[in-house]
Amino acid sequence: MDAFLQGLALVFNFQTLLVIAAAAVFGVFVGAVPGLTATMAVALLVPITFYMDPTPAIAAIVTTSAMAIFAGDIPGTYLNIPGTPASAAYVGESHQLARQGRARETLGTNLICSMFGGLFGTLILVFVSPSLAEVALQFSSYEYFWLALLGLSCSIFISIGSKTKAFLSLLVGLLLSTVGLDMMSGAPRFTFGIPDLMAGVNFIPVMIGMFALNELMGFYGSRNEGRQVTAMHKDKVFTQVPRHLRRYWRNLLRGSSIGTLIGALPGAGADIAAWISYAMGKSRSKNRDAYGTGHIEGIVDASSANNSGISGAWVPALVFGIPGDSITAIVIGVLYMKGMNPGPTIFMEGGGLIYALFIVFFIANLIMLPIGYVAIRSAKVFILTPRKILMPIILCFCIVGAFAINNTITDVWIMLITGFGAFILARNDFPMAPAILGLVLGTTLENNFMSSMLKSNGDLLSFFSRPISAGLGIMVILIWLLPLLLRLYRHYRGTSRDHSARTP
Amino acid sequence: MKDFLLGLAFIVAGAIVYVVAQGFPTMPSLQYGPSLFPSLIGGGFMIGGLVLTIGHVGALKGIAHGLTWRPAPEHIRNMLLSLLPALAIVFYILTSEWLGTTVCLASIMFVLMLIRRTSPILAFGVSIVAALVINQVFSHYLLIPLPEGLLSVWG
Repeated sequence: MDAFLQGLALVFNFQTLLVIAAAAVFGVFVGAVPGLTATMAVALLVPITFYMDPTPAIAAIVTTSAMAIFAGDIPGTYLNIPGTPASAAYVGESHQLARQGRARETLGTNLICSMFGGLFGTLILVFVSPSLAEVALQFSSYEYFWLALLGLSCSIFISIGSKTKAFLSLLVGLLLSTVGLDMMSGAPRFTFGIPDLMAGVNFIPVMIGMFALNELMGFYGSRNEGRQVTAMHKDKVFTQVPRHLRRYWRNLLRGSSIGTLIGALPGAGADIAAWISYAMGKSRSKNRDAYGTGHIEGIVDASSANNSGISGAWVPALVFGIPGDSITAIVIGVLYMKGMNPGPTIFMEGGGLIYALFIVFFIANLIMLPIGYVAIRSAKVFILTPRKILMPIILCFCIVGAFAINNTITDVWIMLITGFGAFILARNDFPMAPAILGLVLGTTLENNFMSSMLKSNGDLLSFFSRPISAGLGIMVILIWLLPLLLRLYRHYRGTSRDHSARTP
Repeated sequence: MKDFLLGLAFIVAGAIVYVVAQGFPTMPSLQYGPSLFPSLIGGGFMIGGLVLTIGHVGALKGIAHGLTWRPAPEHIRNMLLSLLPALAIVFYILTSEWLGTTVCLASIMFVLMLIRRTSPILAFGVSIVAALVINQVFSHYLLIPLPEGLLSVWG
């Protein structure tokens, strides 16, 4: 009880509440301007949160990401341009509804579904993570090695598009994680004689480069500036929402559950949660033909899924230190820099921090209602903000933000090089999430492998010597074999069908 | 064609990483040393690069049959324009000590806004105000030692 009260005191003070309110407005703004993603918002926020206490810092990140994911629906509905990739799955549907004069009704439904999804994910986080943490306390380096490998494997196999490209993207992140002094021998690796690189590649400049500079370069490389709102109607925001929720409450629950589950899988974030949930909603719908013509059912599924995904991603991040998506990858970097190691001990140490975190999640999702309502009413202001003025200002924030982490110009170089590399890769359809996970988990993977090897005198079979470790190991091997097994299954099914067709 | 070239680039990068990793010291007590992970990554680069290259070997056949890969002028112009933010960062790195953060950032913003056809007066006003705000937030509130440069003359 004391810890809970401490948590309340950590959140309900003037500074934290002010930070939450400011972060909510910032999140709406970044989410509602097309081309600025939720991850970019968090990456830009980190240099500022770096100088805050842990609770307001995490509150700022949680609130910004939740708000940005909702606000991404605003330009999606009015302009048919998703504000963040997480809104892309149902942007066509929302825009069709806007063209029918139901833009505010759609956004009102989006808002309530996003809030519900976020709260659902938070409840799972609150109830599941402490029990998982108790299991995780039994883990040693063997289990953490497999968990890290499981996370990295998932990031490849869940990614959309070429698996080879996802694999290469992951290796880029892993390579970056090897820069610096080796933990075991103290030998410098890939430091090129630069003293600033001895401690490794700083995480935040890489994030800013990959998610902000990359987007900025994409903006200057395109001529797409002029945006006009074609459908601006003044319908009521919440009047129709109860009717939709009564009719589609199953979709709401299903979307939230799928979102939380997918969010919790490493490498898959809110965008993949929305895509899968939308596709599943469509496949199980009685009105399948209405999809694509402005049907609110798919929006209920997907917009609850993307916000629950944001909360779900925190489960593995807090319990195991394995990020569920790019945003929690950034958070883990921030927590490490603040000297707080994410993992089961966070739950066991007592103190109010973990309760403060849970309370922050609830507030972030509840504050979405009033601020989201104002954002819907004043949508035009956000979506018509001229990007030609905004982008240069963001670039300057990137430069100063990268410098501010260690007060060294080397970090600005790191941001430039990684941003440039990410731009080339992203332009050629390489996913960025595996690279970020590689960077975050690379050290965990290598350090746990090396300490396991030291403990077992180099015996590789020791990775299967403990029950949980063996189970995780088999899971990883199965994930790697899954494409092959699926191919064999399809081949077998194909031949058996051919055979049965021939038999009279 | 791009994937083919990227595949080749990954093969070369993998080979370099692998060769550099072989130079890392080994540990006498253990058969696995600091070179293990970089070597695996280098190997992975080579394998992934090879798969990507083989998958797009058709591009090479196209060239052999007389089809040349010639990007449109519009495409080249957009590629060059996309380098602007990168060039602005290089400009900051090279001149911030001398010009100071505020002047440097204001110049970058002003030029970038003009390139996207913002009215010069608006661009000038926004650049100055934004540079002063960024400088104020980072150097006075967050106490980051941003270079003052030319402005330090006025104290």
